[in-house]
Amino acid sequence: MERERFLARVREGVSGVEAPPLPRELPPTPASDDGRPLRLRFVEELRAVGGVVELVSPDDIAGAVAAVAEGAKARAAVVGPDLGPFVKQVAEGLRRADVEVLEPNNPEGWLSTSARADLGVTGAVLGVASSGSILTTAGSGSSRLASLLPPIHLVVLPADRLVPGFEELFALLPGHLDGASSGVLVTGPSRTADIEMVLVRGVHGPGEVHVLLIEDPRRTRRRKARSAERAGPPDDSSLRT
Amino acid sequence: MTDAILDAHGRGRFEDRAAAELAKPRLARAIGRAVDTVQERRDGAFEGYDLAAMRLAGEAIRAHTVARLDEYLGRFAERAEARGTNVFFAETAAEAAEYVLEVLGRRSVRLVAKGKSMISEEIGLNRTLEAAGIDVVETDLGEYIVQLAHETPSHIIMPAMHKSRADVAETLRSVAGGILPDDPPILTALARRVLREKFLAAGAGITGANFGVADSGMVVLVTNEGNGRMCSTLPAVHVALMGMERLVPSTRELSILLPLLTGSATGQRVSTYLSFLGGPRRPGELDGPEEVHVVVVDNGRSTLLPTEFRSVLHCIRCGACQNVCPVFRQVGGHAYGGTYGGPIGAVLTPLLAGFERSGDLPHASSLCAACTDVCPVRIPLHDHLLALRREVARQRAPRSERVAFRVWAAAWKTPRRFLWFARAVRLLQGPLALGRPRLRRAPFPLSRWTRGRDLPAMARRTFRERWGGSGGVARPERYGGGKGERANPPAPDGNR
Repeated sequence: MERERFLARVREGVSGVEAPPLPRELPPTPASDDGRPLRLRFVEELRAVGGVVELVSPDDIAGAVAAVAEGAKARAAVVGPDLGPFVKQVAEGLRRADVEVLEPNNPEGWLSTSARADLGVTGAVLGVASSGSILTTAGSGSSRLASLLPPIHLVVLPADRLVPGFEELFALLPGHLDGASSGVLVTGPSRTADIEMVLVRGVHGPGEVHVLLIEDPRRTRRRKARSAERAGPPDDSSLRT
Repeated sequence: MTDAILDAHGRGRFEDRAAAELAKPRLARAIGRAVDTVQERRDGAFEGYDLAAMRLAGEAIRAHTVARLDEYLGRFAERAEARGTNVFFAETAAEAAEYVLEVLGRRSVRLVAKGKSMISEEIGLNRTLEAAGIDVVETDLGEYIVQLAHETPSHIIMPAMHKSRADVAETLRSVAGGILPDDPPILTALARRVLREKFLAAGAGITGANFGVADSGMVVLVTNEGNGRMCSTLPAVHVALMGMERLVPSTRELSILLPLLTGSATGQRVSTYLSFLGGPRRPGELDGPEEVHVVVVDNGRSTLLPTEFRSVLHCIRCGACQNVCPVFRQVGGHAYGGTYGGPIGAVLTPLLAGFERSGDLPHASSLCAACTDVCPVRIPLHDHLLALRREVARQRAPRSERVAFRVWAAAWKTPRRFLWFARAVRLLQGPLALGRPRLRRAPFPLSRWTRGRDLPAMARRTFRERWGGSGGVARPERYGGGKGERANPPAPDGNR
């Protein structure tokens, strides 16, 4: 009832107003391809906004997870159910670091359980190289809290899910959001500048965002073969923290 | 129409409120630091973009959407409902607040965690909820500080920009129960701890909406701290308030509007969090709200649709016009007496709240047009300010002022009259100016004009006298380009 009246009032207000067409071509977003390899761009951009990121071979995931958990002195973690093929290695890494994994069926309830965690581990749908962002979506098999409540958010992202820039991101977004009840693009740690414009990290969301960029297994195999040939260091070593 | 937009500061005249703000020590410095910082970062944020093309596209998107708003609102509601979101259309501020109250009442909510929302300020939501015995806690750090200090936001994006770190430490003392160091990280950590408890205990979260996407029925929230995510994820109920004009046709247009918003607002290429909210949690999901409402608010906006002021509804609330405004820089947002300060407030407040109480706001401008130049969606703000002045004068100018301007117009009508007028003024100002370059106070009725301005004194010799040499009446054709005159004008005798 109130809706019809509301919309009729708006319709009358704009009657006779000519709507300019939507721009057919949108102006390009900054250099979706700026010459740098995608992985390098992602690493540099995420570091620029205060994120931590390292390139990890698929065999080393457990070790990398353990290193992050130990470095953070984490004791309890929530693990988003969206880790896909990495779920075992993540669990192994947390076990090595002696971190308790909090379960959703915990009697005190998921919310207060998540609030107790000092580490949240999730997957990501994609990463944006030009901004160092990661996209997570909510649906069955994912947790909105794991990336939000704990002070550290650890993301496991396969490198082949990187897209160059916003143009590609916004072209892909509708597809990812259609079936999801929500999604969030996360770019670095939570921040504020509300007191005298002084940048402070970790206001309400995680103060630390740590991304493990998982190399394509084929690429790893090739690299291993090459380095075995040359007996030199892996060519991505500069990307490791 | 609505009084809620005029908050507690809304009494009296702009010039009195401005005088009160100007008298505050350090205020202008605090504002200057904040707006300068954003201005510097803005340039970096748009590096690599063709900003001119972006602004044109942004303008076209907004103009298109507003011109077909009925269609997009209908589509948004339909798609949002298909996602399980409740959509309510509120014509007035009171209707919107009552609906929220009803939603909270059904679940007996006693505590609300609130994200930053200018429209909630506009409709006076906190007052309504508190009057009903509901605790409302602002969770954006700046808004939290302002709420504890019993103030209102002084800037669309930076609500506590008018406060120094010492002010903030003093404000948070009541929460800490002791003296605090004036160190932003420590103050922020305290707020995080206190507000975390509130998030976990709140029965409902209330936020604004930066955009509503018509073809997906999703609400987009642009935040940095994460409180918007908290408010829309933790409590069982989430209510998003959205001005009815804040739609985009599809996700595609956001690729332009989002960078325009974050670049203009905080100088970021992208905010830390871009939340796409698409309704309540679904079966099998671990978390998320059980009940989601979007309240679409008109509150006077539809009256602007058929008018020349329609483009005010293109605004995406980035605050850029505030950052560049020389008036805002001196007096801050509170002097404007309404929810929105700066140029956008000087245009929007009189349009929504009426000229009766805010007809003086369009005069709080130097008409330098910096606001128009910076607006990411190219709203001609200074044209609107001029048009409003014209409208206010037509409706409200006293007879004496009309007569004065008619006399003025008559006196300037011909070159001869203008010259005699100038001579007369020069003679009359003698005892007032006393050789000073500017008059700070003039006798009535001019005193009303000089109350807020200085009147430059007339030069000893007018430009025409100097140009013509002898002080006689200059013939118009001498300006028109007699050959010899142009080539060799008399040297000006320096600034006085």
